[in-house]
Amino acid sequence: MPYHEFQCSKCIPERKQHAVIKGKGETLTDALPLGYLNTIPGSISERGCAYCGAKHVIGTPMKDVIHLSHGPIGCTYDTWQTKRYISDNDNFQIKYTFATDMKEKHIVFGAEKQLKQSIMEAFKACPHIKRMSIYQTCASALIGDDIEAVAQEVMDEMPDVDIFVCNSPGFGGPSQSGGHHKINIAWLNQKVGTVEPEIKSDYVINYVGEYNIQGDQEVMIDFFNRMGVQVLATFTGNGRYDDLRAMHRAHLNVLECARSAEYICNELRKRYGTPRLDIDGFGFEPMAVSLKKIGLFFGIEDRAQAIIDEETARWQPELDWYKARLLGKKVCLWPGGSKLWHWAHVIHEEMGVDVVSVYTKFGHQGDMEKGISRCEEGALAFDDPNELEGLEAMETLKPDIIFTGKRPGEVAKKIRVPYLNAHAYHNGPWKGWEGWVRFARDVYNAIYSPIHKLALLDISKDEIPTDKGFETQRMLSDADLSDEIKNSTTLREYTGKYNCLKDLRKKTYAPFERRELADAV
Amino acid sequence: MPCEVTPKERLGCINPIFTCQPCGAQFASIGIKECIGIVHGGQGCVMFVRLLISQHFKESFELASSSVHEDGAVFGACTRVEEAVDVLLMRYPDVKVVPIISTCSTEVIGDDIDGVVTKLNAGLLPEKYPGREVHLIPIHTPSFVGSMITGYDLAVKSFVSHFAEKTEPNGKINLITGWVNPGDVTHLKHLLAEMDIDATVLFEIESFDSPLMPSGNHVSHGDTTIDDLRGTANAMGTIALNRYEGAKAAQYLENEFGVPAIIGPTPIGIRNTDTFLHNLKTMTGKPIPESLVRERGIAIDALTDLVHMFLADKRVGIYGAPDLVIGLAEYCLDLEMRPKLLLLGDDNASYVNDPRVQALEKNVDYDMEIVTNADLWEMGDRIQNRGLELDLILGHSKGRFIAIDNNIPMLRVGFPTYDRAGLYRNPVVGYAGAIWLAEQMANTLFADMEYKHNKEWVLNVW
Repeated sequence: MPYHEFQCSKCIPERKQHAVIKGKGETLTDALPLGYLNTIPGSISERGCAYCGAKHVIGTPMKDVIHLSHGPIGCTYDTWQTKRYISDNDNFQIKYTFATDMKEKHIVFGAEKQLKQSIMEAFKACPHIKRMSIYQTCASALIGDDIEAVAQEVMDEMPDVDIFVCNSPGFGGPSQSGGHHKINIAWLNQKVGTVEPEIKSDYVINYVGEYNIQGDQEVMIDFFNRMGVQVLATFTGNGRYDDLRAMHRAHLNVLECARSAEYICNELRKRYGTPRLDIDGFGFEPMAVSLKKIGLFFGIEDRAQAIIDEETARWQPELDWYKARLLGKKVCLWPGGSKLWHWAHVIHEEMGVDVVSVYTKFGHQGDMEKGISRCEEGALAFDDPNELEGLEAMETLKPDIIFTGKRPGEVAKKIRVPYLNAHAYHNGPWKGWEGWVRFARDVYNAIYSPIHKLALLDISKDEIPTDKGFETQRMLSDADLSDEIKNSTTLREYTGKYNCLKDLRKKTYAPFERRELADAV
Repeated sequence: MPCEVTPKERLGCINPIFTCQPCGAQFASIGIKECIGIVHGGQGCVMFVRLLISQHFKESFELASSSVHEDGAVFGACTRVEEAVDVLLMRYPDVKVVPIISTCSTEVIGDDIDGVVTKLNAGLLPEKYPGREVHLIPIHTPSFVGSMITGYDLAVKSFVSHFAEKTEPNGKINLITGWVNPGDVTHLKHLLAEMDIDATVLFEIESFDSPLMPSGNHVSHGDTTIDDLRGTANAMGTIALNRYEGAKAAQYLENEFGVPAIIGPTPIGIRNTDTFLHNLKTMTGKPIPESLVRERGIAIDALTDLVHMFLADKRVGIYGAPDLVIGLAEYCLDLEMRPKLLLLGDDNASYVNDPRVQALEKNVDYDMEIVTNADLWEMGDRIQNRGLELDLILGHSKGRFIAIDNNIPMLRVGFPTYDRAGLYRNPVVGYAGAIWLAEQMANTLFADMEYKHNKEWVLNVW
């Protein structure tokens, strides 16, 4: 597994150790790219800052909370309405954002008064919201405002409100990851254990590291409900502030994104003895294994198995319809932190695509370890990607599609590589069995878009095909497909609805009998 | 008093209208050819601005960060700039212009970016890059001063003052457009062409709407050259269309090189476009040709179809960039509409002295509020809690939920407009802009009448 040197980065030799090609028969011990190190200035890296890691990634998905940033206006504005973490309370956390709007005089004289006034005003403007999260920024960190003291003062004056403070300035660490860590620990230190929950089931979990992108959390909660498992709190997507204060009472922490939220799980284990169970909502097999693990933990495997059987029967024919048509397509799997290993293996197994490259913007070496072990031989793996390296990789590898962020997706577009939004999704949710089929459909639609084929034609040089007035995705995807697959009566395209959450939100669940109650009878 | 100008009473901000200064400087810098800006601060200051710009244009633009981490924040981060410049120049051999854009963090810690530039000009550039034309331009844009609007204004002036060089008169005018869209630049250049006027346009951003080529060209970038900027000192005059986005540069050229400046008015609507053409005529001596009389006629004809029957008395709320908001308000009045609430989203103290604002105060005969240092809550609160009734909202995408949640039709105008397709392709300035705005406002109202079954049958016999 030799290090890979990008042509464009020969002049910054320290980059060489950030990229490897997974060679035949080699193991991770042969080479592992460096990770989570300071960014090289001027390299046009794709990383964000620790403020955004705390506020934007983890804090803001909490739905019944005023999210107030203490600093100049830009941090707030820039991280507002750029993600798809929805909620079932009409998306308050997406619609409203709050800032203290720090100005020059505050830099000189301090901004604590401004902060206090802003807090009061925010609560006044939103009388139905009694919870607040305050985020430090570079500017307020540097001038040294004591945000906790101000928050405490307000809480003393307004007993019905509760305020959480997260000190994670933008410069705190090489990437957004520093902010994930800080907010995990801050929440645990300040808030966990301050509310006692009502326990309604024998099986009680926290669902951690899940941000309800396009409704992922709601899909997963449906499975937990069907198993009779009570979810005390989701950290943090679609999560309620007070529920998250009661995390200490769960029997198990079920961890989805280990990159952004393992810290709180590990600390909960240490402080409260709550075990951590890592699960994975992406893909049929990982879904099945995840539910089985939870079932096994609580001794309710049958409940898990019932869901697995039902969902697999419902959706397998649809996933396989896409798999047959995606076989051997080359994918650059270029997400932020953890999806490289969440997806690398399972998209190969279940969608038939080959992962020719993985990268991680803010992942650590551990993420890379898992990602490399799960991607195909010959794949290029690199850490802290920058603009030129991404381009060079796409030009060399010629992928059929890349999964990445919105803006890098625009770069790919220009070199005619279709992209799917790995952070916010195209047509999510992508978790759960149905979600995974939706993902496969998005991949299929992107790869077989007639527009991408038209984009390759140079009308000044190439022979212009004049025999067709249109092409469908099907005409492109099925051209070389066997009759057996083409005429299959079992396989079928996705049959779900555009918005699969609508019905989910109306769903009710029959209660399971409690063990203690049953014993008592 | 029917029209009142008041600052927002609250200290904090709920749903900001603007982002901070470095964004404005970044937006200006992508308009220049062979230019990649380095933002000196945390990485989010660049990453999110790039995202914002790409949300609006559905394109990616190159901007770099000095990636200040803890050690820099504590011990000073000037060496990060030095390294950033070197890395950028090594890897982007075509880059000639590198603005060094400061942020709140690096202004607070007091990094001397001017000193860094001096040092690099004396050391790194001649030693490592002899013979290569490189311009390092410090731009001070602390985020705690002004807004993206003042950042843009400052940056345009910084670029112009760095390059402008008096040699021979070039027979051109300088046209400083302000923060506009490619569609605006295309139409402005069309007006100039019709007038037979040669102009340096700051900035040449038509290419922001860039093609997806069979050759796989991947760069979306502005086209203003170093020579264009140098030549600004040799123009016969400067017209800055906007008072708050680019006027500083026009003023600089007048003071420094005696290039006469005309500031404004923002050519939104028929009347302001007339004034713009008048200014062009005055500055160059070129007559207004018949073709523009005809173009204007087409616009007037289109507006006449709409005004009395559909637009008259419609109550409008407008927010966004100050010149845009004021220009739209003026135009709405000409269309018989009633702007009720104008939000100007930063604490610029000179808004009250703007003659256009003063004219509104003097002449508007119904209740109109102009709020300075405003946030979007000023509009949401008035609608939800204080009885403000609006028939139409004009503004950028960040305020979309005011419209959605209050069932008020909204036309997306300004920056950013990411929740509608392709708006950057259409002009809002000039006669073409007047047509586009009026017709889009009408169509937006029409669609709303249909959704709400509110006299939708009216359109049967129009």
